[in-house]
Amino acid sequence: MSKHESKTEAEESNRMWASASFVGVLIIIGLPLWWKTTEVYRVALPYDKISSFDQLPRKVAVDLKILAYDDVTAADLEALIEKAFEDSDIIKPRIQKAVLSDELHHALEYVADELDAVEEINRAYNLTERNCFYLVQRRNLFQHVWLGEERVMFFRDSEASRLVVESLLRWVYQTSVLSGVRSETVDAARSTRLPPAAGYHVVLSVVHPTPDKLEVEFDAKEAVEDYIGTFVDELSYLHNFTLKSQWLYLLDFNFQAKEVKDINEDRGRHFSVRRDRLHLLLTSLEERAATHVAALPTINLALYIVPCHLSPLQIYYDDDKPVQATMQAFMSPKWGGVVFASPSAPDCGHQHPAFHPHTRLVMGTFLAQLRPLLGIPEVDYIPDAFLVPLRSVAARKWEVDSLVRLRTLEQITSAQRTLQSLAQLLGEISNIVITDEVGASINSAVESIQEASHLLAEGDIMNAYDTSKRAYLAAETAFMDPSLLALLYFPDDQKYAIYIPLFLPIMFPVVLSLKNLLLWFRGKPVHKDKIE
Amino acid sequence: MAFCIIFLTLILGAFGEEFIEEIFIKPLPPTHLYSYFQFITLVDTESFVHSNLAPRSIGEVISRFQVDELHMTLTEGQWRHSQWGYPVLDAAPGAELYAWFNPEVKDIDLEWRKLSATLSGLFCASLNFIDSFNTITPQMALWPTGAVKSNLNVTTLLRYASLPREIVCTENLTPWKKLLPCESSRGFSALLNSRMIHNTNYHSIGVHVRKVCASEDCTETKLEIKQTVALVYDYKIIGSNDWSFRKLFGHGLPGACPLATSSIIHVDITSNTSYPFQLSPMPDKVVQSRRGGSDLKLAVYEIDASVEMINIGVKHSTKEKLSVIIPPPLHFNRYVLGYGKEFGGIVTELVNNYWTAIDVVVLENAPWWLPIQLSSLRINSEAESKLVKSQYYSPGRSRQKPYHLELLLKLPPRSTTTITIDFEFVFLKWQEYPPDANHGFYIGSAIIAANLPTAKNYTSLPVTGINYHSTINASQSWYPAVFRTNGAMVSLPTPDFSMPYNVICLACTVVALAFGPLHNICTKELILKPVGTPLSLTQKILNFFKRKKE
Repeated sequence: MSKHESKTEAEESNRMWASASFVGVLIIIGLPLWWKTTEVYRVALPYDKISSFDQLPRKVAVDLKILAYDDVTAADLEALIEKAFEDSDIIKPRIQKAVLSDELHHALEYVADELDAVEEINRAYNLTERNCFYLVQRRNLFQHVWLGEERVMFFRDSEASRLVVESLLRWVYQTSVLSGVRSETVDAARSTRLPPAAGYHVVLSVVHPTPDKLEVEFDAKEAVEDYIGTFVDELSYLHNFTLKSQWLYLLDFNFQAKEVKDINEDRGRHFSVRRDRLHLLLTSLEERAATHVAALPTINLALYIVPCHLSPLQIYYDDDKPVQATMQAFMSPKWGGVVFASPSAPDCGHQHPAFHPHTRLVMGTFLAQLRPLLGIPEVDYIPDAFLVPLRSVAARKWEVDSLVRLRTLEQITSAQRTLQSLAQLLGEISNIVITDEVGASINSAVESIQEASHLLAEGDIMNAYDTSKRAYLAAETAFMDPSLLALLYFPDDQKYAIYIPLFLPIMFPVVLSLKNLLLWFRGKPVHKDKIE
Repeated sequence: MAFCIIFLTLILGAFGEEFIEEIFIKPLPPTHLYSYFQFITLVDTESFVHSNLAPRSIGEVISRFQVDELHMTLTEGQWRHSQWGYPVLDAAPGAELYAWFNPEVKDIDLEWRKLSATLSGLFCASLNFIDSFNTITPQMALWPTGAVKSNLNVTTLLRYASLPREIVCTENLTPWKKLLPCESSRGFSALLNSRMIHNTNYHSIGVHVRKVCASEDCTETKLEIKQTVALVYDYKIIGSNDWSFRKLFGHGLPGACPLATSSIIHVDITSNTSYPFQLSPMPDKVVQSRRGGSDLKLAVYEIDASVEMINIGVKHSTKEKLSVIIPPPLHFNRYVLGYGKEFGGIVTELVNNYWTAIDVVVLENAPWWLPIQLSSLRINSEAESKLVKSQYYSPGRSRQKPYHLELLLKLPPRSTTTITIDFEFVFLKWQEYPPDANHGFYIGSAIIAANLPTAKNYTSLPVTGINYHSTINASQSWYPAVFRTNGAMVSLPTPDFSMPYNVICLACTVVALAFGPLHNICTKELILKPVGTPLSLTQKILNFFKRKKE
């Protein structure tokens, strides 16, 4: 009997070891092997750094120099400015205060014109330094605060301190626009300007619907190069600009214009076009303007030569009020602008109708449209503070500084958001492949973001801009890489259709035998399976 | 009118651009009618950035990829050379693209891929499928038609690809029309009504960009952007052999494009002698053209921008007349040989009807999945033929490079030359099969470049010519022509595409069936059960079912 017992026990252990080896081969070796071989390839990514972007320095350091007649005024102003920027999470002014030297003091007293006064300051201090702004006291000022094109603001006395702070916030540093970059909701300036890019194509299209009835003399090439070229030269270290022009003929568009009696007009009438009709013109322009062939984003400027039988054309608001402006024009955010040039009555009445569009007016309107499109917001009016109106084509120096800060912040924020959404997507969709190249550009984007944030906090805006551009481009490349999608559409049901016929019949008995195996290893008597 | 001319000269003076539109209509008796449109824009090479009449999108593409000469055609249907003679510009069925790049381009293959991808987007065609595996560099068959520096080795700068499977339709015509300065609202392009022109036996649209000499000594060059449309109407589809613009295009011609310097229609009325017909309205003039053995009469209409609707048409005086078609001096045919799914062959037959020998270059371009072996090349069933003057063969590589064979042949007078080459069928990977794999696989057309000794049936422009007027009395010692043979189709061994899944399921079932007993034998033992032992719950349930079964 004992022999029989030991024999069954030996058999029992044989069976159990056989069962254990099945488990060993299938579950311990097979499953990890299967897991490893069917895994989606992913490079290790710096998730911790991506999630801790919020802890990077958020403020932009700016240099501010106060030059006052006496220490008290300077100290008061400094205290006021520091208090005003205390709450701002964007701008951190580094204020230096000084008393005007006697020489400069005298010079400023005797110079009548403000522009000459700026020239005097330029002689004493270096005004070409970016990100450095001067607040200078000037007693013989007609206004409380005066701001020109250079990086200098004059103020009359300590009474003007509040105005100085307000102009700094709203004009020079544009804090609301800057904070709009980080906010979740899109503000007006952000919805208007084009997203950051390495360069832009600026294409002037002269639209001439009736080439057989009206002769138009307009040198598009010269106009673009003279006006737009001068304007974008100042910004050329921010983006590469390519200036182009083209003519589009016979573009049919039905304005649904209505004839309206107008006693001020030579012809005794004008044609009214409703504002809500105009966006349809963009569609027909887009068909012909060939904007999509360029490698870079395109800013479209269209000069629409209104046919004689429709001129003068007058845009009307939705409430049937005409738009009062010298040039009839409209702008489409992130697309470009359209200017209507209506030939006058003598132009059309001639035997050979000919029309010279007023180049300065037309291009001036385009420039006004180009500024917000490129990210220079409209300056609003502050009572008692005087802002010298733009005389030249180029942007004001402090506007350019502000644009650099804006674009840097925008690129950093955009790169951060791109990487964060990529990280989130990777968590949600397990089929996304991350190749070595994509991993490398993600890593370089993360590093550039960190570097750019620190450079901004140190006030080195030019280097910060370049670094942020690298970060932005690297993040976009990583996010847009087609290799991400290689396995995205490999459907799960097809995987199961292949795995189930294989795994289900094999795994079922193996998994069931686990129970007996565990009992046996613990030394408990195994309830024997019986087969009749 | 006078004002128009003054105005146009002003435009030209200011921008150095010129736009010409032309139509050439030739009856192909007894059953067909050929109409050929060409829209030519001449541009100063510098003024790409600032364009007036030239399409900016083409300019952008040309300057971005540094292309010196570009030819792209999208064709539906097959030109029948033996019946119809020669077209002004021949095109391979489907899509065809070839370009010469600037010598300064570093990586031509990369630029070539970018170019084809961009054009694909521009014309809504599948040109993005062009890659190294279907691109060749023809050595002898294709030469630039534009001005090139004479000391330049242009062959290395050339890339050629054709997509015979491409189907051409309205979505290609619409972007093509947008490149014209008058778009489709005015001028000759207003005739290109997609409803009518896709109702033809053959239609082909093309864009050809080349450099032409701006001055006599050719020190300066201009860029010529030529957009062409070739249509072959069948009188059966029109309903009668009396044609008119209204029948062909759906409506009359609404005058010339106001931006064009010349808008001219040429109608070939040579066949008037054998098939008498009456043109209406009467042409402005009739021109006699003697060119290399052919004697043509062309009716010329000069169209004004200010003119009302014109409906040019023809009325035949006699109905139904049979005639013998005289084939052109050189024509050809191509077909596939073989049966089964292992070996096959391509045969190209070249017929020289003329009384002198004709030099031709034949370019065979077989995709990598159709390996052609040079050893199997037979010309008139001879392995070593005296007709072959020069030969170039570049073997293909699987999934990387197509097979490419070029032969320079001297076709003897009044003879038929047969070129045969064998291929074997290849198994593709299952993902490489196109949708509807049982439809068959297209082989691209062969290119035949010939120097014709006669201008019979020859309608092409001379190399230096820009407008159609340059063909009149343009006799030369020989007439260069590039033809495309008909394409062919083979049926590759095509698997049952559900097979892999079936195999997986079957194999899994077998594994599962084998595994179950094996696992049981190894891990379970058989025990005798004494009668009367209490039954477990599961056994009771099992017994219950068993009883029910009985």
